[in-house]
Amino acid sequence: MQQFFIRGIALIAFSIILAPQRAFAQAQDTALDSKQLLSLSLEELMNIEIHSVSKRPEKLSEAASAIQVITQEDIKRSGATNLPEALRLAPNLQVAQVNSHAWLISARGFDAIFSNKLLVLIDGRNIYSPLFAGVSWDAQNVLLEDVDRIEVISGPGATLWGANAVNGVVNIITKDANSTQGFYMSESVGSLYKYSASARYGGKIGSKLAYRVYGMRNSYDTTYIKDKAGKDISQNDEAEITQLGFRIDYTPSEKSNVMVLGNFYVGKENARPEKSGIDGQNITGRWTRTFSPNSELVVQAFVDRTWKRDIPSLISEELYTYDIDLQHRFPIGKRHSLLWGAGYRFMRDEVISSTTFVGIVPNLRNMDVVNAFVQDEVMLWKDRLKLSFGSKVQHNVFTGFEVQPDARLAFMPNETNTVWAAVSRAVRTPSRFDKDYFLPFYPVPDSVPSVQGGPDFISETLIAYELGYRVRPCRNLSLSLATFFNSYDNLYSVEAVPGTQTYHIQNGGEGHSVGLELSGNYQPFEWWRLRGGYTYFHKEIRNKPGHNADYYNLGLDPEHQVVLQSIMSLPYHFQLDVAGRYVDDIPGAMGVSDYLAADVRIAYVLRQFELAAVGRLFNDDHSEFAGTYIPRNFYLKLTCRL
Amino acid sequence: MPPIKTRIFSLISIALLCWSIDAHGQSSVDRVKAAFLFHFTQFVEWPPSVLPADKSPLVIGVLGESPFDAYLEEAISEETVQGHPVTIRRYKDVAEIKTCHILYINLPSGTIQTVISQLKGRSILTVSDKKGFLQTGGMIRLFSEDNKIHFRINQVAAQAEHLVLSSKLLGLAEIYEGKEGQR
Repeated sequence: MQQFFIRGIALIAFSIILAPQRAFAQAQDTALDSKQLLSLSLEELMNIEIHSVSKRPEKLSEAASAIQVITQEDIKRSGATNLPEALRLAPNLQVAQVNSHAWLISARGFDAIFSNKLLVLIDGRNIYSPLFAGVSWDAQNVLLEDVDRIEVISGPGATLWGANAVNGVVNIITKDANSTQGFYMSESVGSLYKYSASARYGGKIGSKLAYRVYGMRNSYDTTYIKDKAGKDISQNDEAEITQLGFRIDYTPSEKSNVMVLGNFYVGKENARPEKSGIDGQNITGRWTRTFSPNSELVVQAFVDRTWKRDIPSLISEELYTYDIDLQHRFPIGKRHSLLWGAGYRFMRDEVISSTTFVGIVPNLRNMDVVNAFVQDEVMLWKDRLKLSFGSKVQHNVFTGFEVQPDARLAFMPNETNTVWAAVSRAVRTPSRFDKDYFLPFYPVPDSVPSVQGGPDFISETLIAYELGYRVRPCRNLSLSLATFFNSYDNLYSVEAVPGTQTYHIQNGGEGHSVGLELSGNYQPFEWWRLRGGYTYFHKEIRNKPGHNADYYNLGLDPEHQVVLQSIMSLPYHFQLDVAGRYVDDIPGAMGVSDYLAADVRIAYVLRQFELAAVGRLFNDDHSEFAGTYIPRNFYLKLTCRL
Repeated sequence: MPPIKTRIFSLISIALLCWSIDAHGQSSVDRVKAAFLFHFTQFVEWPPSVLPADKSPLVIGVLGESPFDAYLEEAISEETVQGHPVTIRRYKDVAEIKTCHILYINLPSGTIQTVISQLKGRSILTVSDKKGFLQTGGMIRLFSEDNKIHFRINQVAAQAEHLVLSSKLLGLAEIYEGKEGQR
């Protein structure tokens, strides 16, 4: 690793000598001051990336859902080093760091060890685990530099995205290979974020084929726990991940595009008595055929293999996923736009237990999911009143057919105001942890406590009612308010079969949650931008008649959360950025007290070079998850874009 | 605080927010476009009859909504191009245009053809980002692609107005050859 570090430094030094006056860094999209703008050469000017914000928010402002977008600029200026840290920038997500490489992430509550109601996609690839109905964030890495945007939708998105998009959808979208041309290199050293190096090269073959290849390595130091005397002791959870990948975009004509991308990773995570290991490979292909601006056909397929040997949970899992999806959008008459699609996914999931104490039975399962959906978007009155309604029908091996309809209405009295309302149904289908979990998995008599799977477990269901308002009172201020009432049924419970000590996973809970999400973007000056939001959340869960379980662990959710990011471009090429957050306390045995945290970034940008110092500032004894503590930390990062 | 006061207070704060935005809030796209306009002046040779060799001002005109904000305008007014001080003029109507060397036309596409025909014979370099601008006899069209701004030149139209465009400018541009793609 030391060697890698030295080589990285050498590479950067080499590029300093060789290419000092190459044109302005392509990714230079910070607000340039007027003098700077005039002093550039024409070529440099042509290399400036312009914000596509003027296009997006227009669309955004019409969307009848609680969508928020984290842009490349937001990520870069936050000092985020990985996806979970970048997701902290979405005020409508709850992100809690457990240790150096594990996070709990959820929208609209139910943030728990198995946060199972959030669907996450990276470039169209579903990374939701059928094993535990969540996301292994440690295995999901992207080169943040190449992320175009992250769309975060809180609230159900099941009609379009499918099962498990119950409380939200996170869509991570990387840039087209045409937009990542040239060299990018970065190197960082720090305390918790101990060391990282990444490099990317993007080029073209002819005028129609663009590609990029990248490699990255992140290395994290340990977080800590406390012994009985309250003394800090290391959690010995150092982690390191190395990932390589590529993306090819081939555009034979203006009307069609073929994209192929792949990622390959391998990582180690320190644990006792030995290290956990992860590795994975995935390849995604997508063909898009555009017939007209409002008609297109998309066919996408991916193959994904993940492997994890998890020492703390005593199990190893190997999962193969094969997925193919088709989506077709076309107008009918002047007022209707129809979107329909179908997909098939096959998963082969094999779990090996290292003890007989806990296990997944059967250890190998082949599962498939078939789905079809249709959605119509209709302009009811001029361009002012838009209704979209549709449904997804999905078939899975555990519960058969599931229907997930939704209807959304948006009223846009003018270009700056949108009022929207929605009613939807979404389901969280059973995972293997719900159906096949055994503790222990050798036979024991009724009188000995044991967990014997969830033979009767069915999907958890949600009916969601949402009401939102979006306004752009003036050009550089936009505000969004989303409110919701969620009604849940058949929530996960673990209860003993009457008269025995044999526990089954059941659907004993029901309840509701209410909440409010306020977010905004404000640019008072060309050199200063503010974004952020406030989220209120409250839930009540109770036993259904005939059930008696404790639902505390279903969600460790703060009632209040505030996120505020300030992005400032100062004179003399300096940047001063702060991403701060306040998270209310989580009461109860597994709770943590409320906290304030701020990631402060100071950077100096000189042409193609950028030197940034980032500090993660918070109280001593900072804890986001019961029992584990995250040390204050900092890092220094040198970036070069050629 | 009584509710009516609260409401007034929030209206005022919104108004204040908006005010400070209107003063500074130009989108970065517009700023980059404005910078392009300024840069074009350095690669064009005007006939001496319209731009004499003395220190007469070089005029960048804007017809329609301006991409320049106050900061850029101020910065540009301090610049000189080959000895000519640069000034920016805004016009509401073609009739107002007196001396002008480069004109940014930010009007609805339908009205552009008339404007261009009215400018004939005055050696004004016309620039716009509107679709179909080059078809109607415009000279340079700015367009964005891959999140960057590019430009396309109608060389025939420029020559007809006795404007000499440097080979460097032509090298960086896409050359318009009678038809424009969808972009």
